[in-house]
Amino acid sequence: MDALYEKLFYQSLRIRLVEEKIAEIYPSDKIQSPVHLSIGQEALAAGICNNLLVTDMVYTSYRCHAYYLAKGGDLNEMFAELYGKVTGCGKGKAGSMHLASKKVNFMGSSAVVASTISNAVGSALASKILNKNQVSVAVFGDGASEEGSYHESLNFAAAFKLPVIFVCENNGLAIHSKLEQRHAFVVHEHAKGYGVKSVYIEEGYDFAKINQVMEGIVKEVREQSIPYVVEIKTYRYKEHVGIGDDHNVPYRSKDEFEQWKQKDPLIQDAALVAKFTDEINKEIEAAVKFAEESPVPADEELLADIY
Amino acid sequence: MEHNEKVIKYKDALLTSMDDALTRFPGTIIMGQGVDDHKGTFGSTTDLAKKHGAHRVFDIPLSEEGNTGIGIGAALNGVYPIQTHIRNDFSLLAMSQIVNTAAKYKYMYGGHFNVPMLIRMIIGRSWGQGAQHSQSLQSLFAHIPGLVVLMPSSADAVLESYNHAVEHYKGPVISIEHRLLYDYSFKSTYGEKDAAKHDPFSSRLVRKGDDVTIVATSIMVIEAQRVADYLAKELDIHCEIIDLHSISHFNKEMIVESVKKTGNLIIADTSWQAYGVCAEISRIICEHDPRMLKGPVVTLGMQPSPCPTTKKLEDLFYPDDYTFTMKIVEMVKGRGHGLSVAKTSLNETYKSFKGPF
Repeated sequence: MDALYEKLFYQSLRIRLVEEKIAEIYPSDKIQSPVHLSIGQEALAAGICNNLLVTDMVYTSYRCHAYYLAKGGDLNEMFAELYGKVTGCGKGKAGSMHLASKKVNFMGSSAVVASTISNAVGSALASKILNKNQVSVAVFGDGASEEGSYHESLNFAAAFKLPVIFVCENNGLAIHSKLEQRHAFVVHEHAKGYGVKSVYIEEGYDFAKINQVMEGIVKEVREQSIPYVVEIKTYRYKEHVGIGDDHNVPYRSKDEFEQWKQKDPLIQDAALVAKFTDEINKEIEAAVKFAEESPVPADEELLADIY
Repeated sequence: MEHNEKVIKYKDALLTSMDDALTRFPGTIIMGQGVDDHKGTFGSTTDLAKKHGAHRVFDIPLSEEGNTGIGIGAALNGVYPIQTHIRNDFSLLAMSQIVNTAAKYKYMYGGHFNVPMLIRMIIGRSWGQGAQHSQSLQSLFAHIPGLVVLMPSSADAVLESYNHAVEHYKGPVISIEHRLLYDYSFKSTYGEKDAAKHDPFSSRLVRKGDDVTIVATSIMVIEAQRVADYLAKELDIHCEIIDLHSISHFNKEMIVESVKKTGNLIIADTSWQAYGVCAEISRIICEHDPRMLKGPVVTLGMQPSPCPTTKKLEDLFYPDDYTFTMKIVEMVKGRGHGLSVAKTSLNETYKSFKGPF
């Protein structure tokens, strides 16, 4: 087992254990914010962010916990944010759906589907104009690829040759709507119509493969200042929003869940899970304690930072 | 000793402010439909691409929502974007990015991010602009916390507020310009030692008077001045005019103090009265002390219909100088005043505007 594999495994497992902790706390109502968990999809964040520099910029959707952590966002500030505390990364005004951390250029996560895709393209425009040698990354779901602004963003990035990577986390679901009902196109094929290079990774559980493919893409995007579309097949273990399982309702089958779990290293590799769990849980407990003990925002915060 | 009066056209003030922004701040860009073409956004960006480079002043795909999101992302990464909508109506396609993203970026993420940018939008009027080239949407934007919304009514108002926006303000600014102001010439004292000092993002007292307070926006400030000149000269009625200038952050005290003095308030806006500037200024007075008023507030705006194209109906759609004048005379002298007022059609400016755009 090489060090890189263990590093990526650790990153992925850390994200999963953080979110499992959130699920554990959630019934207590200490976290009063709609949570969109990435459980099942952690390998994407780990494999992608491992190839980014701190100066590179990441924008995501509301399903943002995984990328916040993978990009280096502070765990204490994350739990404090979920608890609505002033020590949170958004001073308690952001909640689960709007995590951001300027320190590590995790630039924002939006509840309005597809809305951060164009923001990432704008960051890439600025880095080209100002010669910053940055890569910008837009992370979104397959549902977002139906929005007009995705297509507008792709066209702009191609026309202006901007260093931006479009990452489509294809879990096949928009809330409960299936991809087949919504798409008349295939994301990675369609990108070619704009003259944008693309790749499709079917093994969304395989952080090592994602990492390896992304290494080449990030290098190419940075050196040549071009956009790239990366579509990764993945699987959402939990319901769209909330902490529940929803394989008991007929919109998706339990079989595909079981098949996916068979391939999930975070389930299959019990030895590595055992190796890292205690250490990660210690960190998580400390973060929860930090959140519990932090103060809520003062009344003055209501009208601060508007203009 | 009188100094030479400087006169400058609105569009030249726009061009100067754009040129200054590009010259003084290397991170400034102008991105908008046709900003680098031979017409240069009605003369407000002409030749700036040649002067400052095509990478800083450039045409964009027709993707209002995407472009606005791209402007926001650029602002988050160190560029100051100036964006243009050649008609206010097109900005509706960008509403999600303006309202959901730009207005909320600072607050929603706990004050750690700023989105400094200027979005210019142009209102059309006359020569058959019709329902989708004529809307004044200031109230939609000013409704939203997080946006500074301006309507500069003069060349100096442009120079003061745009230079301030680019140099000092860290958030998104929406500025709604009126197409018919572009060829108007204004006296200018901008940059002179004895120039009047205004808060660039607040209201301006443009005329003093004891009988009536007129609160006006954009081109209605020009109309208010014509009406006030006429009333002072012909009927000895003296209007105080407040140019609202900032729709989002206007000077409440200035309005209250004026109404306290005159007891009469007429609000003249470029848009519909309902839920807009007329309604908002009325709210301010009602919440402060409606007993200041000698009679009902009077409002002047567009008729509650989409804008018709044919001149016959368009003349009915917009308030004219005669209506404006008569409403003030009635307010001051009461109904049945018996005074006669010269009846003019829409003023000469609107007649002299020749299309197509």
